Amino acid sequence: MILKLAWRNIWRNSRRSIIALSSISVGVFAILLSDGLNTGMIEQILSNQISSSVSHIQIHNKGYNDNKVIQSIIPEPAKVEQTIKKNPEVKSFSKRVIAFGLLSSASSSTGMFIYGVDHKDEPQVSSIKDAVIEGEYLMGNDKEIVVGKKLSEKLGVGIGDKVVAMSNTPDGAIGSDVYRIVGIYATASSEFDKVNVFINIKAAQKLLEIGNDFHEFALILNDIKKLEVAKDEINRILSEGKYEVLTYRDLLPSLILQIDLYKESMWIINLIVGLALIFGIINTMLMSVFERINELGVLMSIGMKNRKIFSMIVSEALILGVIGTLVGLLIGAAVLIPLSNTGIDFSWFAAGLESWGVGSIVYPSFMIENLITTIILIPFITVIGAMYPALKAIRLEPVSAIRYV
Amino acid sequence: MEIIKTDSLEKIYSDNGVPVHALRGIDLSIQKGEYIVFAGPSGSGKTTLLNLIGALDKPTKGKVFYEGKDISQKSKKALSDFRLNNLGFIFQAYNLIPVLSALENIEFSMMLKGVEQKIRNERAFSLMKDLEIEELAHKKPNEMSGGQQQRVAVARAIINDPTVVLADEPTANLDSKTGGLLLDLMEKMNEDKKITFIFSSHDKQVIERGKRLLMLKDGLIEK
Ligand SMILES: Nc1ncnc2c1ncn2[C@@H]1O[C@H](COP(=O)(O)OP(=O)(O)O)[C@@H](O)[C@H]1O
Ligand SMILES: [Mg+2]
Repeated sequence: MILKLAWRNIWRNSRRSIIALSSISVGVFAILLSDGLNTGMIEQILSNQISSSVSHIQIHNKGYNDNKVIQSIIPEPAKVEQTIKKNPEVKSFSKRVIAFGLLSSASSSTGMFIYGVDHKDEPQVSSIKDAVIEGEYLMGNDKEIVVGKKLSEKLGVGIGDKVVAMSNTPDGAIGSDVYRIVGIYATASSEFDKVNVFINIKAAQKLLEIGNDFHEFALILNDIKKLEVAKDEINRILSEGKYEVLTYRDLLPSLILQIDLYKESMWIINLIVGLALIFGIINTMLMSVFERINELGVLMSIGMKNRKIFSMIVSEALILGVIGTLVGLLIGAAVLIPLSNTGIDFSWFAAGLESWGVGSIVYPSFMIENLITTIILIPFITVIGAMYPALKAIRLEPVSAIRYV
Repeated sequence: MEIIKTDSLEKIYSDNGVPVHALRGIDLSIQKGEYIVFAGPSGSGKTTLLNLIGALDKPTKGKVFYEGKDISQKSKKALSDFRLNNLGFIFQAYNLIPVLSALENIEFSMMLKGVEQKIRNERAFSLMKDLEIEELAHKKPNEMSGGQQQRVAVARAIINDPTVVLADEPTANLDSKTGGLLLDLMEKMNEDKKITFIFSSHDKQVIERGKRLLMLKDGLIEK
């Protein structure tokens, strides 16, 4: 009955209530929009990093990740390969030779990471093949090289041009070889494209003089939720302490930290919007209390307890808060769900985004935790906003409330 | 049986710092089942006296006894309970909750007492039938005439079987025919249910029909 009364009281002054509802809905929508874009960007950065090179899990010689020297090769690759193949969570994997070196064209030269990969396995793990915008991906021939768009521009080379790669060999000599550009790729991150080049694994082993050895197994799982399960299982089998098994969370600590910080900071965004809303709620509820002082006097006279009067007024605000939040969520869903498929094109000012590894089209996305924060916090704030007006109401004396004109 | 007794009741209001002596020492005794009218000119203290008897306000001096117990020093919450359990109120205006129908207004008082929904509904309907206001059941106050609203207010005041109903100028906003019908109704409730009615009024009709009359003047009872 209190709820019924509260509900009807809201619609006594429907214009005022609709204004209050709208401001809550707009606030919630603003939170969703900002959260959707931020989360979308973060997830894109993460998924771009995973798909361009990081993959889900990497296996190296122990200590490789902290000190990426050419000598740090995988001790017993056959054993590791067997372990991976037996693991049901692993969808695909690729072997990689990785080295730092210098890439030169006729006119210029630049530092680069050279990846030696299998032209058939690597596309099962990373997206570089799909990112080729000119020419072809590796086809398994010795002298092929695929470079990023930014790097090709820097060196002033195009498809068919020759480049020379140089790198240290394990015994301190310098290996070098000539390659012909067969493909140019562009990922969402121009920073990545500027420094990473791809050749066939055999060619890389020859360049570095490391026989059949290599540095990394990159794994993609069937289900990303099994990340830790898969890691633990591989670790359990490769238990001699010779290897390191790292998930993308281990490999991208600063990005993961950023995501965690962002989740925390959603509180602040919610709180700022909530603070903006709370004054509107206080005002709305105060006006509604002042309009019915006589009525409150009668209610008190006939024996309605302060507790009930208080909860009636707080319920009114809570209803406004819940409906406003739901409407905001619905508008958010109606606007952002279609956009999460088509994406929002920020190319008109996206130069900055691209070097960040986001891509110029942002696909809004949501973290369930953040949605829950909003769904709880905003109605809670409206309740807080109703406290003062409700206190005002119960401080009335029945006699003076009835006499009030 | 004596139900209400006041003992040299005084009430001094402060009107922006200026003391206003609204009651100057009221001694009276009211028996159960009485039908009593406080009459007197405007400003003579009728409403103030009714509010003190109705436990809506506290006296500056003196005491109010209800069934022999002093109620003048009880806490706000205790007074609220006391009103809910023993008293019914009819005011001059703003009696009904505008967003509730007649039926819901009557049920509301029972809800405050914690009466179960099903019983509330039955009792409200049967009383409305008694008072011949069933056809108003689903109307909102703004769809009713002043007389109809006051009849619903009577129903709400007596639904919890109070011992005493206090009615402050209940006919003030009604024409004399409608006022007369309302008085018929309350008289009937007084006779049938032995509910004590205490009125404040300067309406000739109410005063004439009162079974006991107390004239107030300047905060004192005139003999
Ligand atoms: N809350 C109040 N504050 C100040 N003065 C009041 C208040 N209530 C009543 N009075 C004064 O007390 C006197 C008695 O008022 P009241 O009991 O309302 O008389 P009546 O009901 O007979 O017209 C009047 O002079 C009135 O102005
Ligand atoms: Mg009066």
